Amino acid sequence: MASNASKGKNAVFLFVFLVLTVLCWCPIGYGSYGEVGLIMSMPSWAFILLLIGAVLFVIEWGFLFFSDLALYDEDLQPIMDELLKTIEQETIKEVN
Amino acid sequence: MLAAVIITGICLVSVFISYLAFSKGFTKNADDYFTAGSSLGYFILIFSLLASFLSAFSMFGMAGFGYRLGFGSLYVLTANLVPLGFLWYYMHKKTFLLGRARKWMSMGAPFGERYGTPMKIILVLVVLVSSIPYVVAQIQGIGVMLETMTEGLISYRVGLFFVPLFIALYLMMGGMKGAAWINAAQGVFFSIMVFILFFFVMMKNGGFAATMDQVLAKHPTLFQIGWSGGKVWSYPMIFGMASAMCLGCVCFPQPYMHAYASRSVRGLKAMFLSFGGICLVVITLPTIIGIAGTLIVPGLKGVEADKIFGLVASATMPDWLAALAVSGGFAAAMSTVNGLVFGNATNISVDIIKTLRPQTKPLELIFLARLWVALIMAACVVIAWNPKTPVAELSVIAFGTVAVTFFALWGAYYWKRATATGAILSTLVGVSMNIAFFVAGGKNMVLFPQASLFQLNGFLASFIIAGMVFFVGSFLTSPGKTEEKSLGLFFHPVLSK
Repeated sequence: MASNASKGKNAVFLFVFLVLTVLCWCPIGYGSYGEVGLIMSMPSWAFILLLIGAVLFVIEWGFLFFSDLALYDEDLQPIMDELLKTIEQETIKEVN
Repeated sequence: MLAAVIITGICLVSVFISYLAFSKGFTKNADDYFTAGSSLGYFILIFSLLASFLSAFSMFGMAGFGYRLGFGSLYVLTANLVPLGFLWYYMHKKTFLLGRARKWMSMGAPFGERYGTPMKIILVLVVLVSSIPYVVAQIQGIGVMLETMTEGLISYRVGLFFVPLFIALYLMMGGMKGAAWINAAQGVFFSIMVFILFFFVMMKNGGFAATMDQVLAKHPTLFQIGWSGGKVWSYPMIFGMASAMCLGCVCFPQPYMHAYASRSVRGLKAMFLSFGGICLVVITLPTIIGIAGTLIVPGLKGVEADKIFGLVASATMPDWLAALAVSGGFAAAMSTVNGLVFGNATNISVDIIKTLRPQTKPLELIFLARLWVALIMAACVVIAWNPKTPVAELSVIAFGTVAVTFFALWGAYYWKRATATGAILSTLVGVSMNIAFFVAGGKNMVLFPQASLFQLNGFLASFIIAGMVFFVGSFLTSPGKTEEKSLGLFFHPVLSK
C-alpha cells in the first residue's frame, strides 16, 4: 500500500518535472514571435522563463530534501551493509 | 601591470591552497588522491562542481550572446540547466552508492563493471578526445585574456606556459581535494565579481528598469524571440540549444568525480540541486550585462562582441575593480581546465593503465595520474600554440560527443536488458554522427536547426539516433557473462529508493 502511494507520488513528480523541463527548454505557451509586453522591465516570456526555472528548482528541492522519495543519510549505512554483503558473497563465489 | 599582479595572485593562491591539501596528507593513497577520500562537504562540492563546469564562455561568451542576440540567450545556460537538479540525482545516485561500495575512482568504472573492458576503454577515449578541444579553447582564451589584460606585458605564448604550468602544478600536488578547494575558491570569486559588475553596469544608466527601457527603445529585437524573419531564437533553435547544453552536462567526468568525493547523501543532493539554481542567477547576470552593454559600448560586431564583459567593466568601474571583474572570467576558465584535466588523467590511469596492468600499485597509480596531468596540459599547450587553430569551433562538438553516452549510463543503472553491444554501438554511432555533422556543415550544423534533419540540430539528431541504436542493439543481442554478473549489484533491491 505504502509502495503504491510512493509510486503515485513519484509519477506525479515525474509528470510535473517533465512539463516544467520542456517549458525551460522551449517557450511553448508563453512566448510568441514579434513584439512582447514587459514584466519587471524584461520581456514577459523571459520573466516567465526565469519564474518557471525558480519553480522547478523549488519542486526539485522538495523532492530531494522533503519527500520520502529520495535518498537520505540515514539510509546510507543499511544500503552500504547490504551492498558490501553482496560483494563479499560474489567474491567468495568467484574464488570457489 | 595591475592585471598581471592580480592574475599572478590568483595562480599563487591556487597553488597555496593545493599545497595545503598536499601538506595535510590528503594525497597519500589512491582513494585520497582520486576521490578526496569521499570527504568533501556540501559547500565545497556545490562551488567546485559549479566552477568545474562554468568556463570563460559562461562569463564573456554569455555577455557577448546577450549583446548580439538579446534575452533569448537566457535559454543557453540559465533556466535550461535547472532540470539538472533531478537529472543528475537520478543518473548518478547509483554512481554515488555503488562507487562508495566498490571504491570506484573514475568514470569508466560503472561502464567497465556493467558492460566489460571494451566499453570502459571506448568511453575513456571518447571523453578524452572530446575534452581536449574544450580544454585547449580555455587555454587559448587564457592566453588571449592575459595578453589583452596586461596590454602585451605577458604575450599570448608566454601566457600559454605561465598559467598551465600553475594549473599542472596544483593538480599534481593536491589531487581531487586540492582541485575541489581551488575550484570552490575560484567559483565563489567569479560569482561575487559578476554581482558587483552587474550593479555597476545598471547604475551607469540609472538602474535596471531605466537601462532596460533605453535598450528596448534602441534595440527592440533584443527583447524578442523569432526575430530576423523567424531565424533567431526560433522555437527549434531554442529547444536544440537548451536541451543540448543540459543533456551534455550529465555525461562529463565532473559529476562522477564529485559523486565519488561526496561525504554524505545531503552533500550529493545539495551539489546537484544548487548547480541549476546558481546558474539561474549567476549566468543570467552576464547575459543582462551584455544586453545593457549595447548602450555603454555600442556598435561591436561579430566576435568583437565577446569583449563586451571587459569593456563595460572598464567603462563603469575603477581600474582595479575592473581588473578583478575580468579576472573572474579568467578564474572560471582555470577551474574548467582543472575539472577536465584531472578527470581525464584519473580515467586514463585507473581505467586504462590499471586495466591493462592490474598489478599496478596504488602509489604508482598516483604517480601515473600526475604524469598524465602534465602530459595532457603539455599536449593542450602544443595544440594551442597557434592562436588561429580553430579549437574553439571544434569544442562545440564536445558536449554532443559526450552526451551520446547518456543511454549507456542509463541502461547500466536502470535497464537489465542493456547489453555491451548496444552500449558500444550507440556510443560509436553517436560520436561518428557528431563528427560527420561537424565536418559536413561546421558548428552551424551541430548547433542550429536543419531542414534536412526535421528542424533538429546535429546534436539532437545524433543523440536520438544513439538512443535508438542502444535499444535496438540491446534487443538484438543477448547479455553476456559480464552483463549477467553485474545485475546482482547494479539492480540490488536496496538501490530501488
